[in-house]
Amino acid sequence: MPESSTKTNIQEQSETTDLIIPSLASITGIHDLANNIKLIQVQLDDLAKREVFIYKPGQFVEVSIFGVGESPFGLASSSARGDTLEFAVNRVGTLTDALFRLDVGDQVGIRGPLGKGFPMDMYKGKDILVLGGGIGGAPLRPIIQTVIDNRADYGKMTILWAARSPDLLVFTEEYDHWCSQPDVSMHITVDQAPEGWEHEQGLITTLIEKINPSPENTITVTCGPPIMIKFTMMTLEKLGFRPEQNWVTLEAKMKCGIGKCGRCNLGEKYICTDGPVFCFAEVRNFLESYV
Amino acid sequence: MKIITQKHLQEWLSRLAGEMNLVAPVNSKGKMIYREIKSPEQIAWGFERTKMPPKNWYFPMTESILEIKQGKETKITEPPEPQKTVIFGVRPCDARSVIAFDALFLNKPPVDRQYARHREALIMIGLSCPQMWDTCFCLTVGGAPNSKEGLDILLSQVEDGYAVELLTVKGETIFEGVTFKELAIKVDEPQIHNGLPALRKSDQWMALFNDLYWQKLSDSCLSCRVCSFVCPTCRCYDVRDELVALKPGLKEYERLRAWDSCTATGYRRIAGGHNPRDTKEKRLRNRFYCKFMYYPEDYGSLGCVGCGRCIDACPVGIDILEVIENVDHLLEKVQINV
Repeated sequence: MPESSTKTNIQEQSETTDLIIPSLASITGIHDLANNIKLIQVQLDDLAKREVFIYKPGQFVEVSIFGVGESPFGLASSSARGDTLEFAVNRVGTLTDALFRLDVGDQVGIRGPLGKGFPMDMYKGKDILVLGGGIGGAPLRPIIQTVIDNRADYGKMTILWAARSPDLLVFTEEYDHWCSQPDVSMHITVDQAPEGWEHEQGLITTLIEKINPSPENTITVTCGPPIMIKFTMMTLEKLGFRPEQNWVTLEAKMKCGIGKCGRCNLGEKYICTDGPVFCFAEVRNFLESYV
Repeated sequence: MKIITQKHLQEWLSRLAGEMNLVAPVNSKGKMIYREIKSPEQIAWGFERTKMPPKNWYFPMTESILEIKQGKETKITEPPEPQKTVIFGVRPCDARSVIAFDALFLNKPPVDRQYARHREALIMIGLSCPQMWDTCFCLTVGGAPNSKEGLDILLSQVEDGYAVELLTVKGETIFEGVTFKELAIKVDEPQIHNGLPALRKSDQWMALFNDLYWQKLSDSCLSCRVCSFVCPTCRCYDVRDELVALKPGLKEYERLRAWDSCTATGYRRIAGGHNPRDTKEKRLRNRFYCKFMYYPEDYGSLGCVGCGRCIDACPVGIDILEVIENVDHLLEKVQINV
């Protein structure tokens, strides 16, 4: 007679507690990143949890403000640089508005790390082209940090940073540091440039064409609004990049983050568990479009 | 075959009602629905298919998944174990919905502990259908009017009572001490609908993803979500926090999950406003593809049990069985054209 299988399943669960119950964390820093965008730094309250909270560039967390709700944020920090978790917040809705009203010392809940990150090991020995659009630069920052911290493991890194206007560029204070590293170059463009603007003007696709990166032994990583990803991929293809060389991180408003609630599917894929990082060779063959 | 008389069945159910939460179909102002009952007298014995599936007792419409107390310290706890619940009179189609739920919530890691708690506390006593009713199509999706899948006990009406099949340890346990007779009685085969369309395999649906059919089909869709509301297998949920108590120095919240539907207008909208599923055509297509392609491919179980409730409930007559039939015809055409 078949025994109900539920009991064993409940018992096996104990290792994943933190994916269901948020871990308490305290805000340790809040910084203005750009107009209406803040970088929030938190630390898990439980020291033992801090130690085991190891994550990869591209992974995300669900951030709770109790009584308000929970939303997913891509981690903008690197595990290797310490146990402070950082994420960028653009004030666009209820939860982000509530996050903007918090102070250092306030408590939030963190579930994660969730999703699949960028396969940094696979990128070793290759040149890396980083393509960030607006706040989409945030989940790419850990890649930049990882390359800088392990400089000998990777080839040349070219960072193309785009935003609608200069006040929407993120991590501006770090550009000098990034560019001072060996074999790192950076190019910035904005859609609307003020008078006297010393960088590029126009869409990121125009900038890519101007820089004309070589596809040879290069991988690209892109994060930005869906429309930017779409046209960036077209431009890269035109320049000879194969879809297998291009990696993207996609966005959705996951509720559970663990493949249960059904919110974030693209066809039979779930952004939360199959992604959010995907190789574009896979994304272009998705049944359902991300755009 | 174990045979239990109507009298002994009612006695048994009375006893169960005293020991645990008993849920059964009742007649509420002419509508057959599942309700928690105190006595088997309340049961609508002649019920056919209920208006709503019994899903509410293993995947409640709204329920707390976390309890949060924020005072000097913050304490987050999971809800207590639910009360043991026995649902009597589960139709075999509805029972198969737990197969779909188990596949997603239990068998695909990580386990959804809240669902697991309900499942652990749940016992389902099925009642096989003597016939298929108007919009029933369980046979198309791998079920049958007398299917045993998902049930702990199956009862089938026979002359002078019910034939009893004990299907799980849980079923055996709650049947202990019940008066029955061993008789060589054959249960009548249910009356079935002939000529139901065949369901195409999950990998075949892909070829029709961009077919104009979905646009035509969705023209009349109101995005009202009633199809998901009455569905025994729809499981999409929303999560919200609610303040439940405000005391000096202490705030108490519940994190609630509630049924949701992918046919809702803004369901797939992301922060900043972009919506990759911005038309009702895309949303309705997603619902059918979820049931017949995505769910089977991701979890190994269909996302439909053929109860037919969405056909009855849809205010504009969108008919899932017609969709299955049209997909079959369209695929024939596609294959001819290739």
